Amino acid sequence: MARRPAPLRRALAALAGLALLSAPAARAAEPTRVHLGATLPLTGAEARVGGFFKEGYELAVEEVNKAGGLQVGARKLPVALTLLDDTSTQATAVSLADRLVNSDKVDFLLGTYASHLIEAQSTVGEQNKVPYVNGGGGATKIYKRGFKYLFGTIAPVELLGTTLMQWIDVQQKAGRLPRPAKIALVWENTAHGKDFKKGISDFVAQSGGAYTIAVDESFALDGKDFGALLGKVKAAGVDLFLADAHLPDYITMHRQYVAAGLCHKVVSYGARGSEKAAIEALGQENVNYVLSGVWWSPQLGQKPGPAQDFVKLFQGKYPGRQPEWFQALAYESARALFAAISQAGSLDREAVRQRLSGLEMRSLLPGGTLRFPANLGNQAQNAFVVQQNLPDRTSPIVFPPDAATGTAVAANPRCAK
Amino acid sequence: MERFVDLAVSAILLAGLYATMAYGLGLIYGVLRVVNLAHGGVIMAGAYLGWVLHGSLGIDPYLSIPLVVLLSFGLGMAMYRVLVRHLPRGAAGGPASLLLLFGVWLVLRNVAYLLFTGNDQAIRTSYSTRSLLVLGTHVSVNRLAVLVIALVTPALLQLLLRHSHVGRAIRAVAQNADSCTLVGVDVERIYTLTFGIGTALAGLAGLLSATIFSFNPGFGSGELLKSFVVVVLGGLGSVLGTGVAALVLAVVEVFAILVLPSYLTSAVGFVMLVLVLVFRPGGLFGHRVLG
Repeated sequence: MARRPAPLRRALAALAGLALLSAPAARAAEPTRVHLGATLPLTGAEARVGGFFKEGYELAVEEVNKAGGLQVGARKLPVALTLLDDTSTQATAVSLADRLVNSDKVDFLLGTYASHLIEAQSTVGEQNKVPYVNGGGGATKIYKRGFKYLFGTIAPVELLGTTLMQWIDVQQKAGRLPRPAKIALVWENTAHGKDFKKGISDFVAQSGGAYTIAVDESFALDGKDFGALLGKVKAAGVDLFLADAHLPDYITMHRQYVAAGLCHKVVSYGARGSEKAAIEALGQENVNYVLSGVWWSPQLGQKPGPAQDFVKLFQGKYPGRQPEWFQALAYESARALFAAISQAGSLDREAVRQRLSGLEMRSLLPGGTLRFPANLGNQAQNAFVVQQNLPDRTSPIVFPPDAATGTAVAANPRCAK
Repeated sequence: MERFVDLAVSAILLAGLYATMAYGLGLIYGVLRVVNLAHGGVIMAGAYLGWVLHGSLGIDPYLSIPLVVLLSFGLGMAMYRVLVRHLPRGAAGGPASLLLLFGVWLVLRNVAYLLFTGNDQAIRTSYSTRSLLVLGTHVSVNRLAVLVIALVTPALLQLLLRHSHVGRAIRAVAQNADSCTLVGVDVERIYTLTFGIGTALAGLAGLLSATIFSFNPGFGSGELLKSFVVVVLGGLGSVLGTGVAALVLAVVEVFAILVLPSYLTSAVGFVMLVLVLVFRPGGLFGHRVLG
């Protein structure tokens, strides 16, 4: 029998040796858990909402771990979440996300809360090619940067303006509001406010003259006096008062609005209106018939489906409490990431990113389906739900009709008094 | 005409608020030459104090004024005795006092976060949204009350400064502390009292603000900035100048809406601040009443 040449023998021996050496290494590299990282504003200006997001993330992780872990390929892996406090500041949010990726070696990132923090922090995910799913950054400009690894479960604020106008349009067509109707559009000078304004303005531009914007004014955050601004609204004699404000400005402005004896056929402060804190600060009689649009409401849980399952899960852990949209969107962001990981069957970041891009998931959000349209920067486009405060202290969903839990009242009966 | 009256009334009411916020800052600077960066924190603490007294004990915010003023006065005296008096005097103490009092503010803010969380709070009374018809325009009862207090406060302060032994001592120390020591005035005691009075005025401003605005532990930073503008416009250390400067600032800000977008009106005050610092560094009125 002819002997093999010596160089070939040496090469085969080297390969066999390499194979022996690499076998334990390959076994060690096999993942034993899904490691997620997130920062949240647990202290500082956004601490209240940061706490709500924490509840949502933890709920999602606990749920999947109670079920034996997350299905990744043929195995179920436990999920671990490393959560850090970004103190509501951009610099900390960015540096901690960098630490999570490069030091703690997390597999994927969940987002922090508030548009300005997410705008800064999401660059870390993009630079390191780590999928980053958030439910707290609604400003559209975040998603217009061509990022491939950024995904948002939170619909753009533009849609809030559009949804409010759709409800108003239904009322106008039913003869409950004048045609044409004059609008006072008052918005905070932030990305949130600008998106709101765009939603309303675009709708008005396409309304064929059914609406005109008589006052278009922005204001600085944390205003101390809205007297002059409201004077302008009063002088314009408008029918609809549509504002976009954060809670402190809503309280200050609406107190002045009521004290100035103003009343309009439709009054809205964008996403504000049905909060317990606002009702306590302003008094039920002063917030009756105020409309608000929110990303999610626990009332969606009145019908069987993911929203009901979430409400039950939340109340199982926090008895006596109702979840708000903050917890719901945080929970849904984690769930979307879990779904993409399971579909990818591995922790490969690129594979998971691709699955997120094509994801179509049954969701607790209005509309019932979550997807991240690539042409809109991977930002979900689920509709808002419109709620209206009523004198019986409830704030039922009045729009869209398929989610409605109550009947809308228009025009504002307070103005008749 | 109706629009003009609306704006004028709005400006006067806003001036009341600005003046109330700025008196304490002006007084402390006038006597101690210390820029009290903890002023914003005390405004926030005053708001929470009023909220707790109203929410837990049912005390009307205006009836709780004496208690809030007294407690803030005590806090101010304690701050001076424990912290501020250890600072070097004169120019050398400037940066140190800024850092120290900024630290005090951070401590106050974080204590509030611990005690009350970051939730927005507000004081609501039966008259929170009530108004009176004045010159054909609706005037909020709360803002009117703040205006009245803003007018009464400097009057009382002037009475104290001009017609009491302590007041005369405060004015004398503001002019020349070393000479006062030579003639037997207890300068440290006067400093303590002045810091207490200034802090009490900040607490009062916080309480009054809480009847109008919602607040959280971050409350006070915007108020501190406005107070700075008012105090510098009025002339550092001038109590009456502070009141007039508050009116000037409010009139300019409110009437600016006739020519500027609403979101830019609050920037007008800062533009005025820069102009005054460049062209009239002593303030619009150029002299100090205390001095």
